[in-house]
Amino acid sequence: MPNTNAPDSARHGPRRLAGRILVAGLSALLVLFVAGPLLRLLLAARPASLAAALGDPEVRASIALTVATAGAATALALIGGVPLAWLLARRRFRGRRVVEALLDLPVVVPHPVAGIALLLFLGRESAVGGALARAGLEVVNHVPGIVAAMLFVSVPLLVSAAREAFAAVDPRLERVARTLGDGPATVFRRVTLPLAGRSILAGAVLAWARSVSEFGAVVVLTYNPKVGSILTFDRFTTGGLAAAVPVAVLLLGVALAVTAVARLLVRDRAP
Amino acid sequence: MIRLEGLTVDAGDFTLTDVTFDVPAGGYGLVIGPTGSGKTTLLESIAGHTRPRAGRVLLDDRDASGLPPEARGVGFVYQQYHLFPHLTVAENIGYGLRREGPAARRARVEALAAMLGIGDLLGRSVHRLSGGEQQRAAIARALAPRPRVLLLDEPFAALDPSTRRALRRELRALHARGGTTTRQGTHDFDEALRLGERVAVLADGRVAQAGTPEEVFRHPNSAFVARFIGAGNVIAGRVRWLGAPPADGESAAATFDAGAFVLEVVAERDGPAHAVLRPEDLTLSRLVPEGSARNHVRATVAVLERTGPVTLVHLDAGRPLVASLTTASVDALGLAPGVPVVATAKATAVLLV
Repeated sequence: MPNTNAPDSARHGPRRLAGRILVAGLSALLVLFVAGPLLRLLLAARPASLAAALGDPEVRASIALTVATAGAATALALIGGVPLAWLLARRRFRGRRVVEALLDLPVVVPHPVAGIALLLFLGRESAVGGALARAGLEVVNHVPGIVAAMLFVSVPLLVSAAREAFAAVDPRLERVARTLGDGPATVFRRVTLPLAGRSILAGAVLAWARSVSEFGAVVVLTYNPKVGSILTFDRFTTGGLAAAVPVAVLLLGVALAVTAVARLLVRDRAP
Repeated sequence: MIRLEGLTVDAGDFTLTDVTFDVPAGGYGLVIGPTGSGKTTLLESIAGHTRPRAGRVLLDDRDASGLPPEARGVGFVYQQYHLFPHLTVAENIGYGLRREGPAARRARVEALAAMLGIGDLLGRSVHRLSGGEQQRAAIARALAPRPRVLLLDEPFAALDPSTRRALRRELRALHARGGTTTRQGTHDFDEALRLGERVAVLADGRVAQAGTPEEVFRHPNSAFVARFIGAGNVIAGRVRWLGAPPADGESAAATFDAGAFVLEVVAERDGPAHAVLRPEDLTLSRLVPEGSARNHVRATVAVLERTGPVTLVHLDAGRPLVASLTTASVDALGLAPGVPVVATAKATAVLLV
């Protein structure tokens, strides 16, 4: 908390002091509101029930599935999103604004709505979904459906982080590298990517976390096999709090651990 | 050799128009002009970062207009240096030596660093270099792949005067040794006189004048160029014939009416004009001298600007004038602020543009 010691308040007068107390008080309330439920959740888990949940094959499979599908969605987001972000940051083309506005949409639509849209687009009755099914890729009610839902809701976060990262690299650095004998692709690898990489990775961590936390879009596309958020909801509706809490705690733990490690890795790369 | 033929480039909201200029092989050319006149765009066009709408860029007799920057053999130093922030000084200098073996690369980097006096900084991060050190590292980086052409964009602008002088000397020496054709953008005409063999004055994306620095300095072709290169006194006024107007291409005696005073001049055209009067072509005396020079302007000394052996005398003659005298003659004349003097210029020393 900001200090409100005596000499300071004497210097700035009572109104300044009241202002500081108001700001500090409101901030503290909000922090408590976020931290409270999470702490309460951690405290609610009994060690015995956590151990039981860890031993439950369905829980273990669900956590592995969540980590893997979120990882796959993030990888796909990187593969398509980094070139797109580069285009948005470096090139002025017709329709750039439209693309940017479009990429904001998945963040604003309610996630079950996103799920329904994806279901209509990727279901077996649709042209795209039918073609994919004939090619052997079942999406709806299968693992690819989970990845598709996660990708849809998380890719805007990655693209906007990567776009900012590219925009922050001075084009003159790239031009100097060109005069030193490198073609555009080599300059991208030797100059642009090393300079933008850290922020792009931070965006990827954010996208991964968003994927892990996704429920609404995934539940519409693929209820089974169950990712962590769906398993938690499923246990809650069938067995109540006692059944849901251990799964929820494990999921929270995995998400915290992975994002913490990723953040450390990203920070370590700082010059 | 650098030759620009009618180069026209659209760069965003800025346009370079019909730029023609050349620097002979092994020569040192300068582009000067105020901020926003297009110096950086011009240099970037020579390097190949913009696609010209019309005209050609020739480098060593080869049309380079269609070549990408990496195929032009051009070294580039930006005003703000633009060292790669994720690399050390050595990695920056060696960036363009990717195709050479590690031993050859190392030797080249060390030789350049030693030549530029940054040999002991090679392991450093570029964030920990002073302005002068960054400048040297950027020059070394540009020279490392042995470019045929070196382009410098106001490379001295951010440096203190003594570092500036030292680097200027080194660059001149490097240049003499290496035989690289160099092209530099600057807004400092002093620099042009010291360094350049060819100079182009840029205004609004067009070449206002090109030639040797001496030509441009002696005969600025417009009031803009005269004012920009600091030719001293650029006076607006009107030319009137003393007798009959001369034939086309000939000149005749005339008067130049500056409002506050009238000069006798030799002119080719009458009507509105600017008179350029270089400070060293004005002589000062306490009394009206006798003899042929008849352009006597009564004035009062306003400020003395002593710069070692030469003193600039700022005069009030109804409009400001500046004269350049040896400090010895300033003292002999007993000049001081408030002292009335007569400024005299020969009619042939007044350049009309």
